[in-house]
Order: sequence, then C-alpha cells, then structure tokens
Amino acid sequence: MYRITGTMLTGSTLNDINSALAKLQRSSEELSSGRQILAPSDNPYGASRSLDLQSQLDGIGSYTTSVNDGISWTQTSEGALAGISGALQRVRALLVSAGNGTHSQADLSAMAGEVSQLTESIKQAANTQYAGQYVFSGTLTTTRPYEPGENDEYQGNAGAVSRAIGAGATVAVSSDLSSVLGNGAGAGDGKTLDVLRTIVKHLTEGTAAGRQALTSTDLKALSSNIEGLLGLQSSNGSATVQLQTAVGRLETLQSSVTGALSSTLDTDVAKATIAYSTQQAAYQAALHASASIVQESLLNFLK
Amino acid sequence: MSIPTLQGLQTALSGLLAEQQALDVTGHNIANANTEGYSRQRAVLQTNQAIPIPSISAITGQGAQLGTGVTVETYTRVRNSYLDAQYRTQNSSLSGASTEAEALEQAQGAFNEPSSSGIASQLSAFWTSWNSLADSPNSEAAKEGVVAAGQRLAGALNQLSGQLSTITAQVEAQYTARTSPGGEVADAAKQIAQLNQQIKLAEQARQPPNDLLDRRDLLIDKLSALANVTVTANPDGTDTIAFGDAAKPLVEGSTVNWPQTLSPAAGGQLGALLGLTAPGGPLGGLRSELDAVAANLASSVNALHTTTPFFAGNTAATIAVAVKASEVQSSSTGTPGGNDVALAIAGLRGGATDQAYSGLVENVGSKVQGAKNEQANLQATLTAVAGQRQSVSGVSLDEEMTNLISYQRGYQASARTLTAMDEMLEQLIEHTGRAGL
Repeated sequence: MYRITGTMLTGSTLNDINSALAKLQRSSEELSSGRQILAPSDNPYGASRSLDLQSQLDGIGSYTTSVNDGISWTQTSEGALAGISGALQRVRALLVSAGNGTHSQADLSAMAGEVSQLTESIKQAANTQYAGQYVFSGTLTTTRPYEPGENDEYQGNAGAVSRAIGAGATVAVSSDLSSVLGNGAGAGDGKTLDVLRTIVKHLTEGTAAGRQALTSTDLKALSSNIEGLLGLQSSNGSATVQLQTAVGRLETLQSSVTGALSSTLDTDVAKATIAYSTQQAAYQAALHASASIVQESLLNFLK
Repeated sequence: MSIPTLQGLQTALSGLLAEQQALDVTGHNIANANTEGYSRQRAVLQTNQAIPIPSISAITGQGAQLGTGVTVETYTRVRNSYLDAQYRTQNSSLSGASTEAEALEQAQGAFNEPSSSGIASQLSAFWTSWNSLADSPNSEAAKEGVVAAGQRLAGALNQLSGQLSTITAQVEAQYTARTSPGGEVADAAKQIAQLNQQIKLAEQARQPPNDLLDRRDLLIDKLSALANVTVTANPDGTDTIAFGDAAKPLVEGSTVNWPQTLSPAAGGQLGALLGLTAPGGPLGGLRSELDAVAANLASSVNALHTTTPFFAGNTAATIAVAVKASEVQSSSTGTPGGNDVALAIAGLRGGATDQAYSGLVENVGSKVQGAKNEQANLQATLTAVAGQRQSVSGVSLDEEMTNLISYQRGYQASARTLTAMDEMLEQLIEHTGRAGL
C-alpha cells in the first residue's frame, strides 16, 4: 500500500502552491513589463533575433536620417542650378537682342555690364552651401569652388559626395557643376564661364567680328552649355527622386521590422491577461484546497 | 497433567509490558513526526517461549504447548535502502543541475539582454555614430560622437568580461570553501565516521541504533548533494562511503580520507562547480565567445580605419578606443566631404560582429534554458523518489493514532486479564475449602 503521510501532504501542497504562484508571477511580469522575453533563456532564438531586428531598426533610422540629409542637399543644389539656369537664359536673351543690330555701343556696354554681373551671380550660386558644406566642390566641401572676381578657376575636386540609403547602397548627391562652368577664359575650355567672359569681351569691344560672333559661335556655345546644365539639373532631380523613393522604401521596411520585433518581443496582452486570470483562479483554488485538507486528521474525530 | 497456577498472571503482565513499550514507540514516532530524516519505528512483538505440557489429555495422553504471553523482540526502523540509493543519485544530479543553472543564470544576468543598455544596443549605437559621421564627414561633433560611442561599446565589453571573470572566481571560491578542511564535506565525513563508531558499538551490544542510523542516513543524503555517493554497508554496521570520483573512500569505518582530488565527473554540486570552470566549460566558453566578438569588432573596424587603428586590444577585457576625435577617419582620401570609410564602417552593422554577439546571447540563453529544464525534470523525479521514501518511512499521524488506540486497548485488556486472574486466585485462596463455615 502506498502510504500518505502528513509531511508528504504538506510538502506537495507547498510545491503546488509555489508552482502556481511562480506561473502567476511570470504572467504578471510579462504584463507589467510588456515583454514576453525577459531574459534570453525565455526564448534563446527569439532573444537573439530581437537583437538583430533592433539593430536593423536602428540602421533604418540612421539611413532615413542620411536620406533626408541627401534630399536637403539635392534640393539645395536644385535651387542653385535653377538660379544659374535663369541667369544663362537671361544672357541668351541678351545675345539674341544684341544680334539684331539696332543697339548702340553704349547699349552693348550696358549689356556687357549685366552679363558680368550675371557671371558673378552664377559663381555665387556655385558657391552655395548646405549645412556649412559647399555643395559643388566635389568632396572638398570646405573649399569654395569659385573665387569671386576675375579668377574663374575651379577650386574643388572631381569627387562625388554620397549618402547611404540602405545597407551597402549609396546615392551620389553632389552634381559636378564644374563640368558645365569650367575653368574660365584662362583655360579656354568652351565651358560656361569661358563663354561668358568671351561674350563680355565681344560686347565690350563692339567689333564687327565680335558682334557677328555674339549671335553665332557665342550663342551656340552658350546653348550647348545650357543643355549641359539641363542634363545636370535632370540628373540632380533624378537623385532627389531616388532618395524620396528610398524614404518610402525605408518607411515600409521600418514598419515591417517593427512588426516583426514586436511580435518577437512584446507580450500578447490578450493572451497574457487570460493566462493571468486562469493562473490566479488556479492559485486561489490551490490555497483554498490546501487550507481545508491540511487541517484534517484523525485527531479531529477522536474523542 | 497440570499447569503452573500463577502462569496466567505472568502472561497478563507480559501483555501489559509489551503494550506499554509499543505505546512508547508510538509516542516516539509522534514526537518525531516532523524530524528531518526520521524513519518511523515499530516494536516487533513476539510470543514468549511456550510451556510444554506432555499429556494434557488423561485419556489420549496427547500433549500441548501453553502460550505464555508476548515480548518485544526488538524495535525496527522502517526503511528501504534501495530508495535511499535512488534518492541520493537523483539528489546528486539535481544539485549539480541547480548549481549549473544558478551560475549560468548569473552569467545571463550580466549580459542584460534584451535591453536598451546591453552590448547589442551599444554596438548599434556605434554603427549609428558612423552613419552620422558619413552625413557630416567633417564635423568635429560627429567625430566626438564616434569616439564616445566606441568608448561606451568598449567599456560595456570590458565590464561584461569582468563580470564573467567574477562569476568564474565565485564558482572557484565556492568549490574551495566546500572542500576545505573545515568545509561541508570534511564536516559531514567526520560526523559519519563518529556515527560509524557508535553504531558499531551498539550493534556489538545487539541494540539496534535506529536513531543513529537515521542521523547517518541524513548526513549521507546531504553529502549526496555535494557529489555522487556510493554506500557500502559492512557487516559490523559501519558504512563505507565512496565520494564522487575520489581515489579513496571518503569514510571507511571511523577513518576520514579528506581532502582528495575531484574532477567534473564527481557529479553533484562539486562536480558542477568544477565543470563550470573547467577548460572548455560553459563559463570559459562564454568568455572566449565574447573575446571573439571583441576581436572581430577590432579587426573589422581597424581594417577599414586605415590611417591608425581605431581599437586597441583584441579581447573583451582589453579592448579600448585608441584614437582621439581628431584622428577619426571618415574618408580614404582625407577630403572633408569624403565619407567612404565612415560608410564602410557603418555598413558593418548586421555583419560578423553583430551576428557573433547575438549568437552568443542565443547560446547563453540556450544554456540557461537547458540547465533550468534539466533542473525542473530532476526536481520532479526527486520529488517522486522522496515521496516514495516518505511513503515507506514517514510518520503518518492517522496511523499512529490508530496504533495508539489499539495498544491502549491492548493494555487495558491485559490489565483486565490480570484482574480476572486475581479474582480467580482470590476465589481459590479466600473462598475455597471453607465449605460449611
């Protein structure tokens, strides 16, 4: 016969009450902390996965910052390029007007003055800064790309500034404006600044050949540079679009990773609450039963 | 053939004495109902030597034997040594598993994962600082940020490595304390040796030393938590105790052989303590994995940070940031707007270092989970064996109360027999042979 003794009864009762209370405490911890993984041993794979997901989420956050920074950069460039484009259009209009032959030399000199001013404003636009960095200097972002005044030589380099848009993916946010502006008359490279200086020279000199050139070679050279600038604007615009697309993609990714992290780490409140109520009832039942059973013995009935 | 006239008195007396002794034993049981290690005892009653009566029948001449009452032959303790052996085996395993689970849980606590302050989040913050530097490659503040994040990360690795070392040292200290000449093992062994001596003397005097046996068994139970024990019972009543994988028996008669050398195979708490710190053991394994994380971090960052090594040291304990903010490299060309190096280092996020670390966290979690599961399983088995042992040896108050009543009634009935005998003799002595008076 398997004998049951009082010590066994109290011992097993205590064990059962303890384990009921331990389960209750666990549910209560899950509910109060909002987490179902409180230590790696609760779910080793889930814990390590949650670390990976959290890091990925942090990464997405920093890529989003980079992308937004890149967008600001390209938008700054866009403004500057639009300004330059406007100035060039104005020069072109002046050239066309100068070619109709009705202007006096004084008129042409006035035009030359305006073109000189426009040239200066183009160089100023090229010196645009974003967050203290020159946007058109290549990677020499602390160096002004063009000195004000006569010196038209490009001071930057050919490097490209890029921003991360994801793991291992970058977008070049800088535009190589020097490929359109060039190094001025000294270089004789046929680029914008060279052409503008030539135009000013032709306007000022007022020679027949010069006047002739204004509407032919100068206008042609200017037009070709305007086209170059257009190309630059369009590639800058597509960089902006690429960055904006990246923002959307990162947002989608962020929400899916956040979802995965939450389902790994966070307490399923409905489930935990039901478990908590069940365990509470079980605990109370265990207490109640123990209180009535442990008190009983033959002694209660012997007279 | 007649029988001795006063024999009935003796028979009734033997009943009184035996019932009284049985009541005493019951009282002893009740008194010790809650004594740890106590085995219930029983008075073993036996009939007395009968008086042979050669021919009770004058007609057939047939003889008979007249019963002369009862005597207490001995007091036995109700105990099953097979269950003792089972209990001790399980107790060793459970104690070992608990010790391992406890130490590993401490180690797990040191990792403090998942949290917003563990190494994983420091690693993530470190990579983020490089992302920020890539956005402003020439910014002093971003460079300061990289150095600060690197220092926090290195500090967290140093700290965790230190905590793991402390846990290892504590485990070693526990082993030393328990096995020292004044420690638990030596203490229990000395007491068992003394009890062996007392038990031997009592056995020689043919007095079953039940309570001494219980005390010795309790001490052996306690020893079994420290390491595997094998008990060999000798004919003289002494126990020879083999302890763990020690070369010589821990207790042999009244001799104690301690200290001796144990290995992780000793089982129990001591075996587990040795196993935890053994080369290739779980604690050492965690430390070397953590060192691998630190080495991987240092080498992968330094390989990209080509101007000067970013991290010095290649173990978790020694890793430190070796550069000042002004020396942080963001581009390979050194141009203020270049960020290729910063981008490359930020791109290490989710790479070998992160994976090695999250693998380590998974590993420590699995170890703790495994140890706790084993502990729970062994606990259930031990509870079952302890229940069986209790079922055999434990004092049941209901049973003792029943015995109390039956012995009390037996005593009353014997007394009544004595009265009946007395009245019979009175009839014989006082009233017989007085016819006509």
